[in-house]
Amino acid sequence: MHIGRARDETAGTMFIDPKVLAKIDNLELLARTVVEGFINGLHRSPNLGASMDFAEHRAYMPGDDLRRIDWRLFGRSDRYFVKEFEADTNTNLLILLDISASMGFASGAVSKLQYAKFLASCLAYFSSRQRDRVGLVTFADAIVDYVPPAAKHLNIVLQTIARATPQGQGSLDAPLNQVAEHARRRQIVVLISDLYDEPERIVRAVARLRNRGNDLIVLHVLDPAELDLPFDDAANFEDMETGEAIPVVPGLLRDQYRTLVADHTATLARLMREERIDYALFNTSQPLDHALFAYLADRQRLSRTR
Amino acid sequence: MSLTFLAPLFLLGILAVAVPVIVHLVNRERRNAVAFPSLMFLRRVPFRSVRRQRIRHWLLFAMRTLALILLAAAFARPFLDRGDRNATAAGAGPRELVVLLDRSYSMGYGDRWTRATAAAERALAGLSGADRATLVLFDDEAVAAAGPTGDAAILRAALQKARPGASATRYAPALSVAQQLVERAERPRREIVVISDFQRAGWDGQELPRLPGGTSLSAEDVGDTAVANVLVTGVDVTRDARDGVDRAIVAARLARSGPRPVDDARVILELNGREVEAKRVSLPARGATSVTFASVPVPDATTRGSVRLSTSASDDRLATDNIFHFVLARAQVVSVLIIESPNTPAARSVFLPRALGIGDRPTFRVVQRRSDRVTPADVDEARVVILQGVGMPGGAVGDRIRTLVRDGGGLVVALGEQNGGRALAGASEMLPGTIGEIVDRSTERGGSLGALDRGHPALETFRGARSGDFTSARYLRYRAFTPAANDAILARFDDGTVALAERRVGRGRVLVFGSTLDGYWNDLPVQPVFLPLVQSLVRHAAGWTPERPWETVGQVLALSSPAATSRTPSIAVSPSGERTRWSAGDSVRSLRLREQGFYEIRDADAVTARRIVAVNVDAAESELGAFAPDELVRAVSPGSDAPLSASTTSTLSAAEREQRQTLWWYILVAAILLLAAESIPSNRLSRTARQDAALAVGRIDHA
Repeated sequence: MHIGRARDETAGTMFIDPKVLAKIDNLELLARTVVEGFINGLHRSPNLGASMDFAEHRAYMPGDDLRRIDWRLFGRSDRYFVKEFEADTNTNLLILLDISASMGFASGAVSKLQYAKFLASCLAYFSSRQRDRVGLVTFADAIVDYVPPAAKHLNIVLQTIARATPQGQGSLDAPLNQVAEHARRRQIVVLISDLYDEPERIVRAVARLRNRGNDLIVLHVLDPAELDLPFDDAANFEDMETGEAIPVVPGLLRDQYRTLVADHTATLARLMREERIDYALFNTSQPLDHALFAYLADRQRLSRTR
Repeated sequence: MSLTFLAPLFLLGILAVAVPVIVHLVNRERRNAVAFPSLMFLRRVPFRSVRRQRIRHWLLFAMRTLALILLAAAFARPFLDRGDRNATAAGAGPRELVVLLDRSYSMGYGDRWTRATAAAERALAGLSGADRATLVLFDDEAVAAAGPTGDAAILRAALQKARPGASATRYAPALSVAQQLVERAERPRREIVVISDFQRAGWDGQELPRLPGGTSLSAEDVGDTAVANVLVTGVDVTRDARDGVDRAIVAARLARSGPRPVDDARVILELNGREVEAKRVSLPARGATSVTFASVPVPDATTRGSVRLSTSASDDRLATDNIFHFVLARAQVVSVLIIESPNTPAARSVFLPRALGIGDRPTFRVVQRRSDRVTPADVDEARVVILQGVGMPGGAVGDRIRTLVRDGGGLVVALGEQNGGRALAGASEMLPGTIGEIVDRSTERGGSLGALDRGHPALETFRGARSGDFTSARYLRYRAFTPAANDAILARFDDGTVALAERRVGRGRVLVFGSTLDGYWNDLPVQPVFLPLVQSLVRHAAGWTPERPWETVGQVLALSSPAATSRTPSIAVSPSGERTRWSAGDSVRSLRLREQGFYEIRDADAVTARRIVAVNVDAAESELGAFAPDELVRAVSPGSDAPLSASTTSTLSAAEREQRQTLWWYILVAAILLLAAESIPSNRLSRTARQDAALAVGRIDHA
């Protein structure tokens, strides 16, 4: 399959346009496309070199590390075999995916939910490649689907992500509270949501997970139209979750709206930082691999300093 | 100078401007609903009262509105009404006014005449100073009753004398008179006022005289919107001569126009002014019926008959057509003198008298004489002389025959064994051609008639298809004769020989038949076609025309036909007593029938009428349906079919009209240009709208 690539502002790096990703139905293929791309871009994965257990032998191929040749077997069979090892799976990755109705909004080719699905898939695939156990929770105002973290649950996770559709009103309190109560061991928790709530309430909800010793990452997904309010015509704006409508003249409100949104994201970032929660804002018009690359690079840089 | 529209109804199209505005204002909110993830931030913005239902793209709106208005205006066909360059209708200067006042009998319906004279008074009241006016009364002809004059008193006097007549309406003569008057007019303002009920029957849509440019024509409609009428449309008279008594059965046809039936109509048959029989009939709404009276004996003298209809229906407001006149006359008689050979056997001389004895339209009084016994008195009594196989009698009889023919009588010559060229030498100047030798076709079982001029009046009886089988008769012998150039050939035998020819002599006619009429040379007398042929030839030779039981107002009666009338001075008296006189030398005598009733025609010195003519109104005038005066105005407007106002309408020349109407082209072009220019901002806005739409991915419902 030919995959189109859009040139981003970042010099020298090719990133994949979300519109192109939207055409890939298979989330695993999508995740591989994205992840392989940015891994190549990183050159060195920060997680390489973890301890390994023997899994199987395979025939030596030119380019394989000579240190990994099983010489004993060579002695018995006069052939070169390489030892394959399973990575240690000492970390769980739990993805909390918000599928409330507001996530269905799209001003371009990709809705917020689609973008969030790409993110979740890429992270799941990426973690799976690192032999982490991957789990998934989809939720609106309550948990919709739950896939417990496991080393072989990647396919189930990807399928569950693919199946998710926008529904219901969004709320973080109940689902996150429920996840916090059932999480028995420390894990990396990734929350992907548009975070339409008061920043304090959001932080309070996610802080419960953080307080249980989890490593928490909050990925805030917003559509560019939510950030800029670019509409011209006066119209009734209808809340996608509640159905409530109010008359709006965008031209008159635009500046105040942008200020409010900017304040909201800034407050979230500040409060998250104070709670030692990783926070990143994703604009659905940005290339996904670029966003992930930037975020993961940032996270790696931060982890060295922490 | 004012702007006027030829099709002002198209201006209603301007209302279309309101449609996009209303749609914009009413539906804008509903159709522009935008689905948005959360109103959390929008709700926090301090609320401002914003008039959302406003028009934002004023330039676009103005361009579109203006384009619509221009389009509507263009289709309304505007033109500049500058008045008239010759200072006509609305301008200054003295006027030449022609008042056309309809006086047909339909104007007697209800109070139409009162309203019409009032309208004429109003039209004349405007006369002032150097104005001149002509009062033209018209029905089926137009007469200038007064004027052109500036004296209003003369005009009013003529108006007061005017009354509705018995004639039907015809607009063409009136407009011709008006056209001539305004063309001759020296006054700069020329106005024509038509006061009429505008009956449809008065104008069949044919060409009317075009009025000269600059003439103002106004129509004053005094017709009624709802009309009803009861009338006698006609009478059928059936003659019954059985038992030797001439009787007539009269049947009258009645009609009702109006929404309600009439149950109590009384129909009276009058003869010579006396009521003979009365019947009550019912008439359905918008229907017709007939009533038949008992048969009545026809007196010797000409009888005046009338069918009179009376009803209590309040909406029968036209009395003129409630009576129908007719004349009952004794059967007409044509005297025929048959001169035959003394040697003719009795068996052969029966055919002609028998064939003529049967006729009743007219009745033939036949006198049969042998050539050696015929007297001048016999000829004097006759209208037609038939020479059956004999030569032209000599002496006084021959002279009388020649005189008879010159004075309008008839001579029929049947050629036979004994009347060759020599025998007929005495009549050679009257005969249509030269008599030749006998053609004998007995060896070939006889010939037949090959060709007939069925269009000739003498053979008019056989004009219809398959009428008269002339080929069945076999002609064993006939005489050849050669007609002169001016003689009419009516029939030929199958070998091309002339069989029947005619020559006009004086006022009379001479017919020559190439074979016998007694069955000697042919078997024609025993063929079915013999009787109608003989009667038809004799009728034609006698110059007989059926007398009509009635005539219609407006017809011209020709009285010059009978020879006797031109020799004596005569007089015609109309129903109102008006007399028309003819002197002894007047060879052409005609009478235009203008009144309803009985006309008497008599010799100047006689007391009793020689002829009575019943005259009835034209039933078509009783059909009171009207047309829009606008149609008439359009029809007389020069060179255009553009609709004009009926009340005050200026008629312009074709060139002027065309020139003044070209304005709509410019407006249309302006509208098109404006629409083209509108596309620029429109496209720009469309792009913006598409971007908006893209922002909402189908959730923004475009207005």
